[in-house]
Amino acid sequence: MVMDKKGLLGQLIQDLCYLPGVGPKSAQRMAFYLLQRNRDGAKRLAETLLESLNKVTRCKSCRNLTDQMICSICSNQGRDHSVVCIVETPADVWAVDQASVFGGVFFVLHGHLSPLDGIGPDELGLDLLEQRLENKEIKEIILATNSTVEGEATAQLISEIAKRSHVRASRIAHGVPMGGELEYIDSSTLTHAFKGRKPI
Amino acid sequence: MSERLVSLQPGFLIRHWPYGETSLLADVLTRDFGRISLLARGLRKPKSKLAGVLMPFVPLLLSYGAGRGELHYLSHAEHQHSAFDSPLQGKALFCGFYINELITHFLHQSDPHPEVFELYQQSLMSLQNGAEVESCLRCFEVNLLELVGYGLDIRYDSQTHQLVEADRKYHFSVEQGPRESVYGEINGTTLHALHSRQFKDKESLLQAKKIMRMVIDFHLQGKLLKSRETIAKIIKHM
Repeated sequence: MVMDKKGLLGQLIQDLCYLPGVGPKSAQRMAFYLLQRNRDGAKRLAETLLESLNKVTRCKSCRNLTDQMICSICSNQGRDHSVVCIVETPADVWAVDQASVFGGVFFVLHGHLSPLDGIGPDELGLDLLEQRLENKEIKEIILATNSTVEGEATAQLISEIAKRSHVRASRIAHGVPMGGELEYIDSSTLTHAFKGRKPI
Repeated sequence: MSERLVSLQPGFLIRHWPYGETSLLADVLTRDFGRISLLARGLRKPKSKLAGVLMPFVPLLLSYGAGRGELHYLSHAEHQHSAFDSPLQGKALFCGFYINELITHFLHQSDPHPEVFELYQQSLMSLQNGAEVESCLRCFEVNLLELVGYGLDIRYDSQTHQLVEADRKYHFSVEQGPRESVYGEINGTTLHALHSRQFKDKESLLQAKKIMRMVIDFHLQGKLLKSRETIAKIIKHM
């Protein structure tokens, strides 16, 4: 059967395809489900989506996504504001926060240095970070950018900035993943693991 | 679909983009097939084994098969354990990005240039061994242009056809070359240095930078080198 992709329904199916991992078939299922089985849910979804689009912006302090001026992490007085973890994306904030090893605050770069794409210090908000480092409230920054060449380059640059402001900078460790077997680990990861070994 | 499988071809990752949910589109410089596009399927999956291998500035051995049109499918990649034990650091790393951008602009897809591959490899090695970055970049630029057919003719004065003299001053224009002038902004020594790829002092390096910038911009025909501006900003922060 050839589906008629015209009209509002067709448009909805097409628009749902904007979501990551959603192709036309799943989009079609979603559209029918929302319109036939769960119209209230659909209405709420539409309203929340619209409201989020209008209200969610970047936190003035850490650039994480939030609907407040200052996000809930930055405004939480129970957290240690002298330690800042620097990550590439808001999803990384969630990941680190879930692991609950870190009780400090974050700074989100929204990307990494990528000279070929014209992404430099300005795009990553490093001016804002520099200002915060100069305020003397921060004692340590933890560089948790991705373990790619671009992520390393970003970490290197930020560590230079930290050095200038006399703030201690550290880089998260790279190496053998939990439950990993050495035999199956690629050589560059193993090299990192050996270079970053620590006494026990 | 075709036919041809390439096995363990030496190459370097020049540039990459995310593709779809879990894949990566890579622009690689291979030794025997020039610059090609490779699709690395599933590379961005959490358990991908190739993610730690396919990195820029590291000599790779790539195996791939023909795909659609200009696109090839990567089947396997490994590190070539010949050199490059320590990665590029600091300023040298950013120069690496600049070199990569020049490669994307001056090499056409699937146009084999083993000499450019050799030059690229040599330049990365000297950057890695802590060579002076400016002179390293100038050598790369002038050699690259020569290899792709835009060689500089800087040995002779364009008007008098005499050899350029070290102690005289010259004007330089991309289309005509050097021309002697008492008000010239380029020293004869700079032109000698560019020709011999041996830069002995700061002044000739600085002048060579100006010349190469003019020449590169001329050949880019209005296209901008994004990395140039970005790296200048990065270095300001360093």
